[in-house]
Amino acid sequence: MPDAVPALEARHISKTFGELEVLRDISLVVNPGDTISVLGPSGSGKSTMLRCLNFLETPDRGQVLLAGEPVGRRADGRLVSDKELAKSRARMGMVFQSFNLWPHFTVLQNVIEAPTKVLGLSKDEAVARAEGLLAKVGLADKRDVYPFALSGGQKQRVAIARALCMKPDVLLFDEPTSALDPELVGEVLAVMRDLAKEGMTMVVVTHEMGFARDVCDEVVFMDRGVVVEHAPPAEFFGNPKTERAQRFLSRYA
Amino acid sequence: MTGTELQMLLSGAWTTVWISAIAIVGGVPLGLVLGLGRVAGIPVLSQLLALYISIGRATPLVTLVLLLFVGLPVVGINIDAVTAGVLTLLLNTATFNAEIWRSVYQSFPRGQIEAAQAVGMQKGAIFRRIMLPQMSVAALPGLMNEATLLVKASPAIAVIGIVDLTRVTDRISARTYEPLPPIIAAGIIYMIIIAGMVRLQRVLEKRAAKWSA
Ligand SMILES: Nc1ncnc2c1ncn2[C@@H]1O[C@H](COP(=O)(O)OP(=O)(O)O)[C@@H](O)[C@H]1O
Ligand SMILES: [Mg+2]
Repeated sequence: MPDAVPALEARHISKTFGELEVLRDISLVVNPGDTISVLGPSGSGKSTMLRCLNFLETPDRGQVLLAGEPVGRRADGRLVSDKELAKSRARMGMVFQSFNLWPHFTVLQNVIEAPTKVLGLSKDEAVARAEGLLAKVGLADKRDVYPFALSGGQKQRVAIARALCMKPDVLLFDEPTSALDPELVGEVLAVMRDLAKEGMTMVVVTHEMGFARDVCDEVVFMDRGVVVEHAPPAEFFGNPKTERAQRFLSRYA
Repeated sequence: MTGTELQMLLSGAWTTVWISAIAIVGGVPLGLVLGLGRVAGIPVLSQLLALYISIGRATPLVTLVLLLFVGLPVVGINIDAVTAGVLTLLLNTATFNAEIWRSVYQSFPRGQIEAAQAVGMQKGAIFRRIMLPQMSVAALPGLMNEATLLVKASPAIAVIGIVDLTRVTDRISARTYEPLPPIIAAGIIYMIIIAGMVRLQRVLEKRAAKWSA
């Protein structure tokens, strides 16, 4: 689809933390409906890259475009207002490694908070939407429970429902299964697999090679702040071009 | 002690209770404003607040109340004793509360804020909906502890003639020539006041326990 506007695009993003150059000239194109997985060794800048996409980190240079519209920074380079940034963020869901549910809210309250307060949905509309999503992630019976009473896998599925309830154009995942006990990884990946199948546009930072291989349309391999490879999964896993990618993959063989 | 003296005692107790209550009810939100203002990184203002908070914490209540009661009229602001007393306790407790609020604010889990930002919530809503309810629960033991300390330190304002629960014991023994009974009675009333505050804290904590278990 050469003419389609990418759902999400990063152009020449750079970011330094003090002396440390964490991202160097990162570019990324995510087409509508695609699932991109971002792989790479720990410390290679994957989280920072993802967080630059919704400006949880402010990139030093470069542009982020959501459906062609600039996020966080205007074309002249000036940062947008808090209000404008919030509007862009509302269209991009994010799922964190550590879930980050709000513990003083029940599951349902976690899911409807932003739809009612940010999108201005009525309580009834938001609840209806939330109940549908909780059923979809298999947690309909947990709607009135507080997060402390959930397992890690359940928490992460609530976090996914919370993101989905905003009807985002894109979902960003930062190692969504890395904090989970191994036996709970599957239930979260299953939800993500379904989303990919339904055509949700997703950027997934992960160490789950199986997921990257089977579910994703494209793999982005990062190392030391640069995108080293960028290929369909069959090609990346079957025939990695760079020595760095080969070395990385050998550890997961 | 006769009925009149008992009445005097209760009136002193009432003075202690309502003056402290105003100071606490005002000092908790004022402390929040001071504590947040201090860490807001607003040039000059944040430094001034930091200075005010350290001076406020270091100044004895007796000094502060004399300063207000004697000092303010010098600069043309007339102030009666009770107002000076309330203001003293309020300004003092607010500086301690500021540090409590600051510490719970600074230790608030970053990830929860980021999750709120990621769904498009803005600063004000994040503070009101996500942070403040949890900060209040986290601050409660510290705030309550400070409030009980304040009640116990409140006799300092008697120095400008306010007849509180401590000062009234002098007045009573001046009539009865028996200093011990009113002092014991006052001690018991202080204990009852503090016990009531601890009870209130328990009730509030129980309400929060449903999600922080
Ligand atoms: N807020 C920060 N301040 C300073 N250094 C940071 C910060 N966040 C990340 N880093 C550093 O940037 C590098 C990349 O981190 P990160 O993006 O988390 O990598 P990854 O997600 O691939 O493990 C690491 O060296 C990390 O220590
Ligand atoms: Mg990371």
